[in-house]
Amino acid sequence: MKTFTYGIKQGIKNIGQNRLFSLAAIGTIVTCLFLLGLFYALISNFQNMVYNAESTVGITVFFDEGISQEQIEVIGEEIRACKTVDEVIYISPEEAWESFQKEMYDGDETIEDTFSGENPLEDSASYEVYLSDVSNQESIIHTIEKMDGVRKVNGSSTVANGLSSFNTLVTYVSVSIIFLLLLVSVFLISSAVATGIRVRRDEISIMQYIGATDAFIRLPFLVEGVLIGLIGAVIPLILLWFLYEKLVGFILTHFSVLTQWLTFVDSVEEFRVLVPLSFGVGVGIGLLGSASSVRKHLHKA
Amino acid sequence: MAEQKTLIQMEDVTVRYSNGTEALKQVNLEVAKGDFVFVVGSSGSGKSTFIKTLLGEVPVFSGNVHVAGRSLNQMKRKQRPYYRRNLGVVFQEFRLLEDRNVFENVALAQRVIGVSRDRMKKNVTIMLDMVGLSKKSKALPKELSGGEQQRVAIARAMVNRPGILLADEPTGNLDPNNSWEIMMLLEEMNRLGTTVIVVTHNNEIVDRMKKRVVVLNQGSLISDQEKGGYTQ
Repeated sequence: MKTFTYGIKQGIKNIGQNRLFSLAAIGTIVTCLFLLGLFYALISNFQNMVYNAESTVGITVFFDEGISQEQIEVIGEEIRACKTVDEVIYISPEEAWESFQKEMYDGDETIEDTFSGENPLEDSASYEVYLSDVSNQESIIHTIEKMDGVRKVNGSSTVANGLSSFNTLVTYVSVSIIFLLLLVSVFLISSAVATGIRVRRDEISIMQYIGATDAFIRLPFLVEGVLIGLIGAVIPLILLWFLYEKLVGFILTHFSVLTQWLTFVDSVEEFRVLVPLSFGVGVGIGLLGSASSVRKHLHKA
Repeated sequence: MAEQKTLIQMEDVTVRYSNGTEALKQVNLEVAKGDFVFVVGSSGSGKSTFIKTLLGEVPVFSGNVHVAGRSLNQMKRKQRPYYRRNLGVVFQEFRLLEDRNVFENVALAQRVIGVSRDRMKKNVTIMLDMVGLSKKSKALPKELSGGEQQRVAIARAMVNRPGILLADEPTGNLDPNNSWEIMMLLEEMNRLGTTVIVVTHNNEIVDRMKKRVVVLNQGSLISDQEKGGYTQ
């Protein structure tokens, strides 16, 4: 316990005493975590936008003529039971006609009168089916086409496939960038810590000569690494929070035309992932960097 | 020599570095409890390797080394810190922690072995008094003279009351007066029961103190004399 308290006190003291090194190490972590956070925010928002775009790509299912309402409901249940089906909306003949009129004639009563109140789309009830993963659209279409009472299934496979591949591409690129950033930050922090420890190589060898165990020598350096990691995580989180709030607010105010496509992830939701991620990565690389450098010097004497 | 009185025993010890250099060649030596031994020799004679061997810092290629009943040949890395607590070490370049004051430098040795705060304070105060630095306990190493810094190093080496004190060129950076004072301090430690081994180039001191002198030449022990001199 005495050793532990000493290790913590000495670790805190070390940060103050090696101000230049500590600042360099904190600066490295801040830069890396800021970039990491920025990329994460970009990726998560982009994926959110793609997901929303995907959800507007639907399949339309038309039924055989003269089919009963019960049979339509049975088909609806079967579709809902399919994997990756997110939502199934029933469009009655009346709704179909109303929507058609609105689109084609925009409330022109003379045209409506031509049909003298009859619904020419009497047999055009349908289901609109939305998927959670549009890459499955083709196989779902095949499954629905085989169902009894289904006359025709319309899908937009080009849009679906395009969105799906684009989303996959973005995910791969983003994961690669984040991975590279992590590698760079581990490298930078371990060389920063190594420089700091090289300065204190004498201290380590003195401690070894007077009979200090590896754990006793290592503890202050690990505490220092963790503290540097924590400070290095807090700063970019605060910066990112303000930047995210301001930027989203700015885009939504100045580009209101694009709000249909620009659906941003809520900041609380975003930071629910970013906070533990940043702390984990910050403390992790601080700890890894100092542990590997101390280990190198411990084994020299 | 009776078994219980022998503190250090080297039997046909050879130390070979990875580049093939044999720094110690079949060295045989026994040091009894309470001895004061000078180890002398020219540069490259193996003096530093001799100290490193006793510290467990370099592996023994062949032969056996026993210190205070412990075999260094079979000592694992994890056991090394506990073994070193039986030794006090003093270096030519003092090796004090520059960012800590005199008291903290000496207290570090006590902290390492987990001595309580009160006990530590008492022991460090006694030790600083013994080396004549009780009034400079708050001073930083850079505020002290070379002789004073070496006194702090001796206080740090002795505060845990080790059985053996190893001094590697303790007067190498000091003027004759300070050198003599440091040697007197080491002799005082020896009088109090500590076995002292001093590696040195300082022929005046060796000749004047008339202690046991072991001479190394190109890794071999060529002479071992009671009350010897630097020049045989």
